[in-house]
Amino acid sequence: MSDTKSTPDWSKDWQALQSQYWSAWSDATRQAQAQTQGQNPEAAVPWQQGLEQWSRMFGDSGKQNETAERVMASAKGYVALMQSMLATATGKNADVGPLQAWTEAMRGGFNLPDLDAALRNNPLAAMLRSIPGQGAQSFEQLSASFAPFLAQMKQDGMSWLQTPAFGYAREQQEHRQKAVVAFVEFQEAIKQYNALILKSSQRSFAIFEDKLAARSEPGRQIDSMRGLYDLWVDAAEEAYAEIALSEEFRKVYGSVVNAQMRVRSHVQQEVERIGTDLGMPTRTELNSVHKRLHELRRAGKASGGQDLAALQSEVVQLRAEVAALEKPQASAPKRTVPAKKKAVKTSKQKR
Amino acid sequence: MGPIKIDPQKALDEALRFNRKLAAGFQSLRSLDEVDYGATPKEEVYREDKLVVYRFKGKDKPTAKTPILIVYALVNRPYMVDLQDDRSLVKNLLAQGEDVYLIDWGYPDQSDRYLTLDDYINGFIDRCVDAVAKRHKLAKINLLGICQGGAFSLCYAATHQHKIRNLITMVTPVDFHTPDNMLSHWTRGMDVDLFVDTLGNVPADLMNWCYLTLKPVRLFQQKYIGLVDILDDKVELENFLRMEKWIFDSPDQAGEAFRQFIKDFYQANKLINGGLKIGDKDVSLKNVTMPILNIFAEQDHLVPPSASRPLKQHAGTKDYTELAFKGGHIGIYVSGRAQREVPSAIHDWLKARA
Repeated sequence: MSDTKSTPDWSKDWQALQSQYWSAWSDATRQAQAQTQGQNPEAAVPWQQGLEQWSRMFGDSGKQNETAERVMASAKGYVALMQSMLATATGKNADVGPLQAWTEAMRGGFNLPDLDAALRNNPLAAMLRSIPGQGAQSFEQLSASFAPFLAQMKQDGMSWLQTPAFGYAREQQEHRQKAVVAFVEFQEAIKQYNALILKSSQRSFAIFEDKLAARSEPGRQIDSMRGLYDLWVDAAEEAYAEIALSEEFRKVYGSVVNAQMRVRSHVQQEVERIGTDLGMPTRTELNSVHKRLHELRRAGKASGGQDLAALQSEVVQLRAEVAALEKPQASAPKRTVPAKKKAVKTSKQKR
Repeated sequence: MGPIKIDPQKALDEALRFNRKLAAGFQSLRSLDEVDYGATPKEEVYREDKLVVYRFKGKDKPTAKTPILIVYALVNRPYMVDLQDDRSLVKNLLAQGEDVYLIDWGYPDQSDRYLTLDDYINGFIDRCVDAVAKRHKLAKINLLGICQGGAFSLCYAATHQHKIRNLITMVTPVDFHTPDNMLSHWTRGMDVDLFVDTLGNVPADLMNWCYLTLKPVRLFQQKYIGLVDILDDKVELENFLRMEKWIFDSPDQAGEAFRQFIKDFYQANKLINGGLKIGDKDVSLKNVTMPILNIFAEQDHLVPPSASRPLKQHAGTKDYTELAFKGGHIGIYVSGRAQREVPSAIHDWLKARA
């Protein structure tokens, strides 16, 4: 931090500068909104809302919508971080040590006002959840596609979970019970995964403090908020790599994937059952057709190659035989045989 | 003296500048159309199912007598090698006089679910090699395998030595069990049979998610914060968008080939441990006897150099060359340094073995 002014002076300047900032921000917002909507904007907007306002105004970014959404999601988090860091820069967290103050500023900056309580102090989990758009789909998002089926199965399965299966619907009841058990296992696996992500987030702040401490020498100090943010990113990646390369993570990651596949498999079986009842073709049937088609093609290619080689070899052999037959004929006196008769004779010989 | 020397006035200016750039940037983002890719003219020379082999056409006729066939990975689209005019491995190879062909695998759908590694390696690649060799009336051609395509090329070269004159591998994993290989680490807890039996083909979006979570903070957030800096620079922005398009434009993976690749390569590490069989052919790196140029990227987080380097010990060739490129998995194709260093290194190496 610059040492040329005392904290109270900075505090006064901060208020002035903040006002100036809001003014500029509001002007820019007002101007853009007037252009796009022709309406009067709100007088002042908090930082997050301000960004969201931009997002709404430029909601349709044409062919680049997905990138725009990703930029906006990232910028929202970064702006919140800057706000938190600015508060520290002006000495608002003066009651704790400087390193802790900056770490707290980073930590606080990630806790956006509208953040799910389960994600507080867990920036990595929040980040993994916040990135929208096509092109990348997490295991949790993947399961959203079959959520309605799962909800129905859960409802049915829960009520039957403790009931012994019997009667004509026994198989169906057993299947739904297994599906619910698989879903409980999946939730448990996700819980363990999230715990490791939380551990990674917490570790990132410890590493961040260490990295900060190492930057005290003149020439290595951090003089911008971006510099501070980049340092935290280094710390966060280091922490994540420690966790992600651990044996525990491997096991938990495997559990998440395997448990989700079991749930998905149960849902697919249920959908197939319904499809069969309705006389619809199923995935299994299509797979069977595709598999046979591939086997046929492989067999065709393999035998095709053999046939070709055999035919080529036969042609070579026949040519040799013809050549051998032609030699004595060439030296023998010429005879003229009517073509038709020869053909008949050949035909009889064959019989 | 503390580690932080942030002037509040400057910090506020920084915040304001960021917001202004963001606001202006969104306007320029809106004004941009879909980005295109591909810099070099090309002609289709072979087609089979969804696969197409292209021959690239340079300004001048190639001087090299033996063509290069590029075998790209299945997990991404191959236009990364010819992304744009000033970022093109292909263009620079052509400029050196090389004759360049490329296999474009296309986008598999559910009807391709039962394609196996045998179909890809002993089937598709073999027929592509034959098609190119026939055009040039040659018995052998040069093969350039990239990433997973490099692993495929090694398998192919090990079992079809009589068809490959020189082998170039780029960012190719060979030892899948090095301690810094995060992707491999994660796959080892997976029940890949259950995975493929359930999903069929493996969705590209899920694959992308896995790649991005290798460096989640950098790739989910920091990259886009950095983008704000160039939002007002149309050329830079288009470069970014082109790359972004490539990253998220991934094909689904044919289920059976994926199953086998994960089991034999990632989980059992059979290229190193032995016992690899593709179709009815035993694959041993000891049978890769032609000259090899192995190029890897020193900052590669997807295929760490430690995964590529062991090729030297395990390949049967007596003519092995290694090139360690200062950059990452993507930078090896698109960075300025890559344009200067990689094509000329490949050309010089091939020329010495023509």
